[in-house]
Amino acid sequence: MLPAYVLIAPAILSAIVFLYVPIAYSGFWSFTEYSGLGTAKWVGLANYRDLLADEDFLKALWNTVLFVLIGMGIGPVLGFLSALLLNQAVRFRAFFRAAYFLPVMTSLVVVASIWKVLLNDQGIINQIFSLFQLPTRTWLDDTTTALPAVAVTSIWQGFGFETVVFLAALQAIPRDYYDAAKVDGASYWQQVRHITLPSLRPTIMFVYIIGIIGSFQVFDQIFVMTSGGPINSTRTLVFDLFERFNQLELGQASAVAYFLLVILASLSYIQIFLFERGRR
Amino acid sequence: MKRSMLRGFALAGVLVLTAAACTGGGGDGDEGNGPVTITVLDYYGEATPFSKDVIDRFEADHPDIKVKYEAGDWDTMHEKFTVRVSGGDSPDVATMDMTWIPTFASKQIFADLSDLSGGQLNGSAIEDHYQPGAIEAMTFDGHYVTMMFDFDAYGLYYRADQFEAKGIDVPTTWDEFRDAAKKLAEDTDGDGVCDKYCFEVYGNDCFHWCQLLFQAGGSILNEDNTAAAFNSPAGLKSLEFYKSFIDDGSGIYWGDAQGEPIRGIKDERLGMFLDGPYYMGLLKSGAPDLKGKWAVAPPPVDVEPGSYLGGTGLSIPVNAPHPDQAWTFIQYMLEQQQQVGVFTLAGAAPATTAALQSPELTKPDPYFGGEAPFGVFKDSMATATHFPYVEQWDPIDTDIGNMVQSVMLGKATPQEALDTYEAKVNEELAG
Repeated sequence: MLPAYVLIAPAILSAIVFLYVPIAYSGFWSFTEYSGLGTAKWVGLANYRDLLADEDFLKALWNTVLFVLIGMGIGPVLGFLSALLLNQAVRFRAFFRAAYFLPVMTSLVVVASIWKVLLNDQGIINQIFSLFQLPTRTWLDDTTTALPAVAVTSIWQGFGFETVVFLAALQAIPRDYYDAAKVDGASYWQQVRHITLPSLRPTIMFVYIIGIIGSFQVFDQIFVMTSGGPINSTRTLVFDLFERFNQLELGQASAVAYFLLVILASLSYIQIFLFERGRR
Repeated sequence: MKRSMLRGFALAGVLVLTAAACTGGGGDGDEGNGPVTITVLDYYGEATPFSKDVIDRFEADHPDIKVKYEAGDWDTMHEKFTVRVSGGDSPDVATMDMTWIPTFASKQIFADLSDLSGGQLNGSAIEDHYQPGAIEAMTFDGHYVTMMFDFDAYGLYYRADQFEAKGIDVPTTWDEFRDAAKKLAEDTDGDGVCDKYCFEVYGNDCFHWCQLLFQAGGSILNEDNTAAAFNSPAGLKSLEFYKSFIDDGSGIYWGDAQGEPIRGIKDERLGMFLDGPYYMGLLKSGAPDLKGKWAVAPPPVDVEPGSYLGGTGLSIPVNAPHPDQAWTFIQYMLEQQQQVGVFTLAGAAPATTAALQSPELTKPDPYFGGEAPFGVFKDSMATATHFPYVEQWDPIDTDIGNMVQSVMLGKATPQEALDTYEAKVNEELAG
């Protein structure tokens, strides 16, 4: 048994040092007023109360929910559809698979920087739009289009992950089911509805749980593309945390982190509960 | 026997690994044996006054002090500094944007320079080296928290060649300003929006609009910094004035989506803008082919001349490892030669009175048509006001930026925006 403990010791220790200890500290700080320097002053639930009354925090919460809805509404669907396409005997399948997954492997900061240039006033997106007589906008400088623009960037970067996950799951579905369905005269979409989707249930649950947890923590794109603007229209929870940290309000920043933890834990439990119940 | 030995080795191995992982910086606590190493963190980027030559000369003059120079950049400096100071890995000297002073100073992050210096800088009283506005800007809570190193006050940059071609006089009042902008701007595709030689309406911060507020005789906060004062006739007038450039097609809104202003200068979308002395350097390096076409004039005046006063200060964190040696280095950087270097190396404006009078700064500049624009900024500095030194300046700064942006983007009328954000700022100050 001892060699087993020795082997896992570094991982456990680094988890304790870099994960659990900071989580505990942060939890403590969320009940204090602390600038990072000097001593932390105990203030009880004041930070949590103040955040719930803070316009900026509430806007951040709302923006994040919107972002997650857009991203998780479109991303997995694109992933699923592209997986269906790739699951067929298409030529150069390996190339397409790599192409879809390449953005996922690219640094989010790099992707965001490139999209920021594309979405520029004189960027290629506006140029293409005007070529097709479509209305051009200052995408990142308009309070109505900034968040969707950032969401599109994220979807573009991320849906390849869902493609690969769904593709692997699709290939695990026994061919016999489809053969039997074809014999019964089922159309392609009927097969998808009655065989594919139910078989993919655990995969769909996985994709949504991971996806929602990830989307709620969106930061890189916001930092690179909009810095939370214009006028807080792309301020998200983690960006709000970051701003508070920069203003040396570590207590408030920690409280934001814990709000996020509670939200994500609750959402995950709800999802698991719904999926488990649906299974019966 | 064998088993417990193995257990012992395993435990020792893991502890060593953990210890190795945990020891971070702080490896130069060499008090008393050999030279002390100070860490200097700046944000000037490539063109820095902290050049290798400057540092080498310092080390030659002070054999007991070694300098570990770390080149940062302005965009990430605020975060970097915050993380390092709160993590206990403070630099000894750091360049601070003067607008960050309120936030950091109110959290007692800076060492008391009045104490550390004994009131003396390079052999004479600190007050002898600076203009009164700078002295005030360096003071927080009755003591010095930073030594001003370069200053920032705004001047009017304009395309002199276009002014001449179109018969425009350099504006000195707000009305002349509007006229000049209208005559200068060109709408090449006839859609009512300015395409060339526009006036830059930098719409999402306090730097650019607040000076218009000052010129109209207004102020951001009241005398004792307890309430917002910008929701006033001066506030309304200055917001409407700024917006009018966009409305009448002579100005172009410049925000994040447009990228860096230097791009607009290069492709000639911008023909006029208000900004600080460091733009002289940026123009030369970013748009060298426009040499001889740009000039600088004093900003047009409404009720009175006004500009924001900013710049860079050199500060020592309160938990710096070697504050005395850090102060020695700061004094060195405020000597005449290094201060003139702020201009010659970084294209920025030095802050000490002696450097401002140096002939280097008034040499004719071929980029600006043989003129020496420095004098314009020096005059602006004399009538410049620094932002209020309150603990909540950071969020208030953001609020004002959002207010200006909401007006420039047409999301609110000037009065609506003033009302909304006056309430927000008062809430910040109260809470």
